[in-house]
Amino acid sequence: MQFEVIAKCHTTKARVSRMTLAHGVTMLPTFMPVATQAAIKGLTPEQVESLGVTLILNNTYHLNLRPGLKVLNEAGGAHKFQGWHRNLLTDSGGFQLVSLSKFTTITEEGALFASPFTGEPTMLTPEESISIQHTIGADIIMQLDDVVSSLTTGPRVGEAMERSVRWLDRCITQHERSGKKDTQNLFAIVQGGLDPELRDRCLEEMIKRRDGVAGYAIGGLSGGEEKDTFWRVIKQCTDKLPEERPRYSMGIGFAEDLVVCVALGVDMADCVFPTRTARFGVALTHKGPLNLKLSKHSKDLRPIDESCPCPTCTDGTSRAILHHNVTHETAAAHAITLHNIVFQAQVMGRGRAAIVEGAFPDYLRTFFANYFGDVGYPEWCVNALRSVGVDLLENTDAKIIPGSGAKWEYSNAAGN
Amino acid sequence: MSSLPVTSGLHFSLLTPPSARFGPRLGTVVFKRPGCTTDQPFVTIPTPGLLTATSRGVVPHLSRDHHRKTQAIKWVHIPFETFLEHNPPVPTLQTGKTPLHTFLGFNPGQHLLSMSARDLYDGREMPPNGKDHVSVYSLRGVRKLSPAQWRSYVYSVKPDIVMALSDTPFTDPPYSQKRLTKSIERSFAWLLNVLCSLSEPEKSTLLKEEPHYKPTVLVHMSGMTSIPARRAFADSLLEPLFGPEAEQVKHIKYLDEGVSGYSFDLVPLRLSLDAAEKKSIDAMSPPSSLPSPAETPDPTTTALDVEASLSQLNLDSTIPPHIEQILPLLKTSLERLPTTKPRIVNSTQTPHETLRLISSVGIDLFDAHWAQRASDIGVSLDFVFPAPQGEGRKDLGHNLYHDKYTYDFSPLASSFRGAIDTEFTKPICQCLACSPSVPPTRLYHGVDEESYSGEPVMPLSSTPRYKPSFTRAYLHHLLHTHEMSAHSLLVMHNISILDAFFSSIRKLLSEKPESWDAEVKRFIEAYDEDMVVLDEARVSWKEVELARGKGRLAREKAKQDEGTLGTAVELE
Ligand SMILES: [Zn+2]
Ligand SMILES: [Zn+2]
Repeated sequence: MQFEVIAKCHTTKARVSRMTLAHGVTMLPTFMPVATQAAIKGLTPEQVESLGVTLILNNTYHLNLRPGLKVLNEAGGAHKFQGWHRNLLTDSGGFQLVSLSKFTTITEEGALFASPFTGEPTMLTPEESISIQHTIGADIIMQLDDVVSSLTTGPRVGEAMERSVRWLDRCITQHERSGKKDTQNLFAIVQGGLDPELRDRCLEEMIKRRDGVAGYAIGGLSGGEEKDTFWRVIKQCTDKLPEERPRYSMGIGFAEDLVVCVALGVDMADCVFPTRTARFGVALTHKGPLNLKLSKHSKDLRPIDESCPCPTCTDGTSRAILHHNVTHETAAAHAITLHNIVFQAQVMGRGRAAIVEGAFPDYLRTFFANYFGDVGYPEWCVNALRSVGVDLLENTDAKIIPGSGAKWEYSNAAGN
Repeated sequence: MSSLPVTSGLHFSLLTPPSARFGPRLGTVVFKRPGCTTDQPFVTIPTPGLLTATSRGVVPHLSRDHHRKTQAIKWVHIPFETFLEHNPPVPTLQTGKTPLHTFLGFNPGQHLLSMSARDLYDGREMPPNGKDHVSVYSLRGVRKLSPAQWRSYVYSVKPDIVMALSDTPFTDPPYSQKRLTKSIERSFAWLLNVLCSLSEPEKSTLLKEEPHYKPTVLVHMSGMTSIPARRAFADSLLEPLFGPEAEQVKHIKYLDEGVSGYSFDLVPLRLSLDAAEKKSIDAMSPPSSLPSPAETPDPTTTALDVEASLSQLNLDSTIPPHIEQILPLLKTSLERLPTTKPRIVNSTQTPHETLRLISSVGIDLFDAHWAQRASDIGVSLDFVFPAPQGEGRKDLGHNLYHDKYTYDFSPLASSFRGAIDTEFTKPICQCLACSPSVPPTRLYHGVDEESYSGEPVMPLSSTPRYKPSFTRAYLHHLLHTHEMSAHSLLVMHNISILDAFFSSIRKLLSEKPESWDAEVKRFIEAYDEDMVVLDEARVSWKEVELARGKGRLAREKAKQDEGTLGTAVELE
């Protein structure tokens, strides 16, 4: 991997960088759409590429079950299997193992779980996670970490953090001896829950291993913790993480989360939210999400967003026809998915442009004024951005919404 | 080639004057819109050819870029009834010269849009039609659609082609002589209604933006399964109009003059033939294989219990074809009408039927519904005409759910190749599954241009840069993981394979017409007409649906099942 920071925000910790991987260049900060099962819901890889997406995510846990490694091996890796010629990232499979399998127990050796096929006890070790990811062949692969919910408290959090460090060593060793270091890049995952001391210890240990890792992910968040805690952990990590490594905040996808994380120095994020919410009929716009299932859209002949460059909006696809078909026809889901992926890309792209132009604080203010102007700014965003020198409330009389912020039309339909 | 038409509307020319009233024929449909310029070329469709079916106004599973990039999609048929959920129907609010095209995202230069009130593939039992209305189906219940409303909707949304309302009963078949007499009288009156010139006030509201709009009208040939009724209806089209009827349509002397083509819907015919057959076999047993709603509808209600009727609905049940009985019915309708107009058949179930209808009737256009439906259940079509020599009986496609495709990295059809493949003996399937290509352009979102990334600027090339075909193994995976992309790819492929079938039919008819009968016979013997592969796929599809259903939001799932002909939107 080649990673160069090409511009920095003069006020916040935001930066623009160029990440060169085996399948091309991805400009950071970027949002990665999730292709869990080797397809972005309903789309073809050619469509995704035409949207300007250069990096997507596959889930190791799922691909390991189906199609399975033998198929991927014969296909020549996941890129070829799914016809995706740009960059690809896989997770370690650990998170899904814990969240999707009831019987997972963590031992020092690895994660012990019941095989979904045979029910037999099966072990996923750090070494195995890495070699599975080698077979999949993604440009960025993740260490196996000991995942605990961000709401977990007590000694388990510390134990998981320490073990994640030990597992990182095993992942590095496995990766080093694989001979795949030229084409695949291993990321560490910083753990430590919501406890600043544990986070610090983890950061310290993992930064020591920087020669063995190409980048750092911030894990153990987005599990229902208070947003005000969330951003503080992110900031704590980005403050410490080395400048010359990309930073990846896992499971982040709401637009406000993205811009705040970018301001705190995050380079990459992924989430199923924009593609999932599309299937429920929610289109994301710079003025807040639109729930196209609501009957107020039934006669509205305007596109989702007149100034949006996505295929759905440039074609003039009306809210009315989307309303007519949403949740009835897959084609409506495809149309909104195309739009939402472009929306996410725009949020990040405008951010990059603003950073390069030295106008990122203005971008933040404009973004919040447009996105939350009507409903009020989430308090945690205001706090988070203050911590990096941007006062969102300067020259505005916007309301402040305590807690996680505004409840959009999508909240009950498709919260993450 | 026919010379370019000067008047707007549908122009059909037979390339080879048919030696007989019935039998295979080659033709061209050229459609010209008012004010058509070179920017908006004529839509030209060689026949025999296909029309693409839609559900709720979209080609199921295809985004707009996909339906445009599928060359085989030219004539698109829109059932209008789902739009009657709102009053006024939302497409009527769209303005412009081609509102229906605009509303649904079809390209006037590429797509010919025809419109019918009802979904032509829906054989559900319905409340009876009335003297002045057709019972139509929308998600919000059964609605009554009057000929006057239909006419106003047609002039508002301006489809290229419209099917006149027809009184086709979907109550309990078979039908009495009295019912059929009523049916042909109403169908006649409703055809007359749509052919009427607009009044001056109507013109000023409906034709504000396109004063020259005039729908091209197709008539559904009424009379159900009764030879005398069919003959009577066809004859009525040729009878000189007089009195008040003649007053309404001064520009024509008899109705056929205002008609641009003849259409035949097979679903009601099959249902009726099937019911008659069952009655004659066992007068005691009710028709069992027919799709039917949960309860007998009360004709006075305007809203059926949608959920109940839809949960009973099984759009997959194949109605016995009865094709040998259908052929003479179609011929009866056509025996005195001009041979110069296109003949359209909707809801064929197999290519075998298509060949028979071409052979013995001389049908020109067929809907692609069965091939599109095959995509819903994971079948990739793989057949050619003429059939390959010296192989055993073949399936028309592959049930890609089957485990034998787990490691099959070949393209979707063995009889075709992708554009990048080098097996030059095979024809290319131009669909985006077999011949995908690198997008010629992409979006940029800020500081991701080549000047920043340092990547080579994509050359502006007029020839596509093809990529390897999507494989059966990939589609197998997508189907088993319930990924919607599987269906998008399969729809594009299957419509393209069907299009290739028609183009081979035309080639044979123009180059070696003498071998037609023998090749039809050979095809019918070579490919499995029972389409067992579709039945198997349907079983696999249900298994995967059920397996997933366990962990899903049952209510969301049930809600979706109502509305969609295709597979449901994934809502996990
Ligand atoms: Zn858009
Ligand atoms: Zn194909």
